[in-house]
Amino acid sequence: MKSLTAVSCGILLWAACHFPAPSPPPDPAAELVERGRQIFFNETFAGNGRTCGTCHPAENNFTIDPVFIASLPKNDPLFVAEFSPPLKANFENPRLMREFGLILENLDGFGDLANRFTMRGVPHTLGLRISVVSSNGPRTGWSGDGAPGDGSLRSFATGAVIQHFTKTLDRIPGVDFRLPTAEELDALEAFQLSLGRQNELTLPLQLKGTVAKRGQDLFLSPTVGKCFRCHGNAGANVPNPIGGRSGNLNFNTGVEDLPDLPQDLTGELAPPDDGFGTPGDGTFNTPSLVEAADTGPFFHNNAIETIEGAVAFFNGAAFNSSPSGQAVGGIILDGTQVVEIAAFLRVINTLENIRQSIDLLEPVAQKTASTVDQIRRSIGQAAQETQDGIRVLSGGGLHPQAVRHLEEALKQIQRAEHGILFRGQQALEAIKQLEKARAELLETS
Amino acid sequence: MIKNWTVITVLAILLATHAEGIAQKTTELYIPFGQSPGLSGKHTLVGKIVQVNPSNNTITMADAAGTHSASIAPGTRIYLDRSKAGLPNSQGLLTDCKAGDPVEVKFVDNERGKPAEWVKVQKAR
Repeated sequence: MKSLTAVSCGILLWAACHFPAPSPPPDPAAELVERGRQIFFNETFAGNGRTCGTCHPAENNFTIDPVFIASLPKNDPLFVAEFSPPLKANFENPRLMREFGLILENLDGFGDLANRFTMRGVPHTLGLRISVVSSNGPRTGWSGDGAPGDGSLRSFATGAVIQHFTKTLDRIPGVDFRLPTAEELDALEAFQLSLGRQNELTLPLQLKGTVAKRGQDLFLSPTVGKCFRCHGNAGANVPNPIGGRSGNLNFNTGVEDLPDLPQDLTGELAPPDDGFGTPGDGTFNTPSLVEAADTGPFFHNNAIETIEGAVAFFNGAAFNSSPSGQAVGGIILDGTQVVEIAAFLRVINTLENIRQSIDLLEPVAQKTASTVDQIRRSIGQAAQETQDGIRVLSGGGLHPQAVRHLEEALKQIQRAEHGILFRGQQALEAIKQLEKARAELLETS
Repeated sequence: MIKNWTVITVLAILLATHAEGIAQKTTELYIPFGQSPGLSGKHTLVGKIVQVNPSNNTITMADAAGTHSASIAPGTRIYLDRSKAGLPNSQGLLTDCKAGDPVEVKFVDNERGKPAEWVKVQKAR
């Protein structure tokens, strides 16, 4: 009898901890986002097996890089060109994909598949709400003209399905794939807009670290770093109108003129990328920098692996002789300044990792998450974000005390991930450690 | 203060008047007749070809609102949509456009007075 009571109590306790509180009333906006999430990660559009999540996986900041690619099984649909005979030639370049994370795009037409294409990295889909709008209309993809139809983020998926999801190079709608419906496009747009930051930072931040603080000063300096002139508040928008244009703009920064582009060194055919338009004008879209440090490699062609290297690019001849380099009067930084600006970018990236982790854990701690699946997903993603923060700070030798708090937070998150009974408490403990880490980076009032 | 408001107003006007994005042109070829996202039924004319005039490079089409003329400039792309027949779409010429073909026309800058940016003709085979 005694043991039966104990078992009953155990079951009740387990149920109380395992199942979330009663669901709140349906929220149409949240339901649309959830529908978009399902489509993004599960819908193949009757194509070659790829989904949007194939190239934009949640577990890798919605982008892919060579390290992530190396972790995938041979039969992952990303590698469809390696095992599907109709896509063997002229659909992808497996070597450039595996070595540099590059994807083949026929941006200037499908008329000469063997010779007319570009090789581009996969941009993450974080913070799109604040990085797509410009005075010239929406800017999507690396050159700003990534979406067919009206060029909007909503239309982007249609072009992506045609380019990347097809079963054969005939690309016959209804045979090689089906195109997203209007309802699916609405849901996909809502999901993508929900990812990452919803607001711009307001610089300067009250940073604590000496190196990152100096990096911020240089970033905002109109005579030294000049970075803010295209990356207002370290985002993707110009802070002041340029020639009547504002928002997310395109620039030719000379990346294509780098002397030793990795893809060219392989001897594989990798035609020059002419950027925006057909034929292109050599310009590319400005990416946000807040999310940069954990989403490399950098630039449209994954030319540079490290954030320090990406900052140093603006010091070189390719940038300084480009139209944008000329327009800002050139940039000259010494070695310490390059590292300082990179340290600033590492710190703001980590602050964003912390913000996201806390946002993800709060519903778990407060037991307001609506489904068990949502709880698991939130905890898993919070673990990824926290790991990114550790990696980003450690990679720059920055803020060891903050790293210790992040490591402690990660332990709690992993306990919550694998346990059931004390999940809420563990999420709460993780949040406390994340807040301590943030307090190491930022003065708090 | 007034200066600030002027700047804000000018910016708002700029943002409002340049709302259309710069679309990627290459995949338009593979988007079936009447399904171009954000364009079809909103910024394009959808109907049937009434007459093709090679001498002055125009197409006359009819929809529920009446007949319309679209001028074909050297830069106008003509897409032949054969997806309904399960065949690959292709680029075409004005001579491929025939009276009675279902047609969709997008004008440059979505302005009827300008030439067609692209013409999509649905083909049964």
